[in-house]
Amino acid sequence: MSNEKKSYESSISSSYKNKELLKITILLGFIATAASILTWWIMFMIITDGMEKPGAVPIEVTFLVFIISYVVFIAIITLNFLYNKAYIKNFHYKILEDHIVIKHGVFTKIVATIPYSRIQNINIVNGVFDRLFKIFTVKIETAGSSVAAASAQKGHIRPEGYIPGLKNPEIIEKKIKEMMTKYSAVPSGLEDKIFKPEELAFDNFISYILSKMREGEKLKTSITELREKANISAADLAEKVGVPLQTINYLTEGRYNPSLALAYKIAEVLQCKIEDLFELI
Amino acid sequence: MRFKKKIVSRIKQFREELELPQLELAKLVGVSRQTIYYLERGSYNPSLTISFKISEILKKPIHDIFYQEPVIKDILEGKSLAELREIAEIACINLEKLASLSEIDDEQLTKDFKEDTLIKIALELGIDFEDLFEKEAEN
Repeated sequence: MSNEKKSYESSISSSYKNKELLKITILLGFIATAASILTWWIMFMIITDGMEKPGAVPIEVTFLVFIISYVVFIAIITLNFLYNKAYIKNFHYKILEDHIVIKHGVFTKIVATIPYSRIQNINIVNGVFDRLFKIFTVKIETAGSSVAAASAQKGHIRPEGYIPGLKNPEIIEKKIKEMMTKYSAVPSGLEDKIFKPEELAFDNFISYILSKMREGEKLKTSITELREKANISAADLAEKVGVPLQTINYLTEGRYNPSLALAYKIAEVLQCKIEDLFELI
Repeated sequence: MRFKKKIVSRIKQFREELELPQLELAKLVGVSRQTIYYLERGSYNPSLTISFKISEILKKPIHDIFYQEPVIKDILEGKSLAELREIAEIACINLEKLASLSEIDDEQLTKDFKEDTLIKIALELGIDFEDLFEKEAEN
């Protein structure tokens, strides 16, 4: 691969599975405990209420409910742990010259390609559980991503670029920004042509437009005279030069500052020098 | 048949004759230094008012500072003799005739070269025919 140095490739940290494990343990542990207490309480109510039939629901059934709920709890946690282990194994991302590739998915394999031109912002998220394991999640948000469609389908919103479980998110952020400025933002060599201080950009732009408009006023042209001398109509001239008639009209009115190439073409058709054709006043 | 032309600038040469730095010239013309840089490199088609100002400052007529040159001239000059020989062979003309392409004017071009010869040359150079020549508008 020739672009080996330019690209950056990595996978996610194994702390991610520990974090997910802790998260689901706390969540499910809470649910399982609540469920057990609720069952025990219902059983207790049935037993105490139905005094006429004491022992109708033996205490063993209550224990059974306890055991089943905790077995399910442990099974879910184990499956979750295995799933996340596989998830980490299958998660790869590459930061290339003009796009990011994120490969993930345990059962359904997904390869997501995000071109830099569509990246809007990069968020580094550090949640409560993330902080315990010192990991970060990088979310790359893109312009007009199908968030609405995704949320309608899945019920939750995830940005297109979602890289969880990162030890050093700054590396990724830096790399992406580097690539973006290098390969997509501004064509090389034009950097200082783009107005540097952002707060001045608008003013510069307006004054540029105004100066362009004023430039035309400084030109005096004798196109009409030369054209009539050569016996060429304005429409013919426009056609020979390869511009709309409107342009020729603007030129003769002195409302338009032509490019040198256009001036040369007109001069060629009318067989004269540019200096004969235009005059700076 | 006509040559497609590009504008070649000799600002740098004239500027150096006057010992005028890029930045000074830019200030006198009222443009940024980058604009002068791009003009010198020839990768920028200036507006006529800028051209007039430059010609005024450098005290040279516009057609001396920005002269037009057939696009093909530069390309042919960049080729080695062996490459030129090969192109001439494929286009079924002799080497001298091929070399003359970078000297003749539009009138001579129409007289000397057939369109399909030029198409072959463009094809061999790996450049679109339309980028090298343009057909005369028919009246």
